[in-house]
Amino acid sequence: MSTPARRRLMRDFKKLQEDPPQGISGAPSDNNIMFWNAVIFGPQDTPFEDGTFKLSIEFTEEYPNRPPQVKFVSKMFHPNVYADGSICLDILQNRWSPTYDVSAVLTSIQSLLHDPNPNSPANNEAAILYRENRREYEKKVQLIVSESWEDDNDDDDQAQKPETSSK
Amino acid sequence: MEKAADFHYNAEQNYDEETIIQQREIEKEIAGCQDLVGPKEDFTTLDREFEHDVAFLKKIQDVKQRYRRFRRIRADGNCFFRAFGFAYFESLLKNPDEFKRFQDIALKSKDELITLGFPQFTLEDFHETFMQELNKIETNKSIEGVLQTFNDCGTSDYIVVYLRLIVSGFLQKNEDFYQSFLDGGRTMREFCNQEVEPMGRESDHIHIIALSQATGICVQVDYMDRGDGNLISHVFPEDSSPSIYLLYKPGHYDILYKE
Repeated sequence: MSTPARRRLMRDFKKLQEDPPQGISGAPSDNNIMFWNAVIFGPQDTPFEDGTFKLSIEFTEEYPNRPPQVKFVSKMFHPNVYADGSICLDILQNRWSPTYDVSAVLTSIQSLLHDPNPNSPANNEAAILYRENRREYEKKVQLIVSESWEDDNDDDDQAQKPETSSK
Repeated sequence: MEKAADFHYNAEQNYDEETIIQQREIEKEIAGCQDLVGPKEDFTTLDREFEHDVAFLKKIQDVKQRYRRFRRIRADGNCFFRAFGFAYFESLLKNPDEFKRFQDIALKSKDELITLGFPQFTLEDFHETFMQELNKIETNKSIEGVLQTFNDCGTSDYIVVYLRLIVSGFLQKNEDFYQSFLDGGRTMREFCNQEVEPMGRESDHIHIIALSQATGICVQVDYMDRGDGNLISHVFPEDSSPSIYLLYKPGHYDILYKE
């Protein structure tokens, strides 16, 4: 059934394929246009560089009038990302504008990676280290960057899942 | 739910999600018992709503003297835009000249908004739906059609969004003049981001002035508030002749009809 939300999501997908912002990819999951998987590559010259971070995006029929629910699936260490992967970002909550699309959402999250907002911490440890001990912060970030590659292996080779160091 | 006394705030827990879920539940409850745009009705239910509230009795009498009927709009924070949009589309059914005038303004609005910096891709999506529904007035010429458009949640909200974008564009274009209306040291861009563009944000005087100015549509609002004296009316823009009439009750707008 075609609803405004589904029609818009098809357009969002087409646009993301034809004109993808740097370091971002995303696509609806196999047979559900309302549920997307996305990858954000850690921006260059930041501690997140070379990371491949997976996210899930869940839309409702109210999209684009209401924001989607976006979560990191890959482990993340960042002042504005909660332990469950959900993201504390104003445009995904009370400052959502219907003029945003998937590409704008992912670009905003990408820039949040290198530009955290320590005033609304979702991860206290990350927020404190970011403010007070940048070296230690960067070390912790580099750990989750390495872990983000292991996630990739999981996908390629799910049958024989290698032991991961994360848990 | 935990009892308040047992509640300990945990800074690393995500409460946003819970809050949003709760908000959605309240919205669903309202949606379950109220159409986005209700049928035309007499004032019986309005009487009942305020029968124990002396402050409003005189005002209701005034409303009844000036108007014959009204239409309830769902209280979801978009009521001003939805009431304005519906009442105006409805008025166009009987006014082909005005239809032509507005169709032209609506067509041109897309490029204006893109020039102002709105993202073309998403703007076109809203504009397309808006024009498609507007043009139905000319082909269908039926009130049933307009009701169907405005009671289909997705389509109805698309129209609300486009009206919100028109207001946002107008305010940013005329920032020099309207800046003085803002409090709290916000820039016009911030105000539009926070109070105009997001769905569900309630409308104030500034939204009404901007929408009537930007579209050239004259609206009269009758204010049913707790103040002493008679029902007070404002016409936007001043000194013009209204094509639609809205009833304001604290925090809410419905549509009024003389006939």
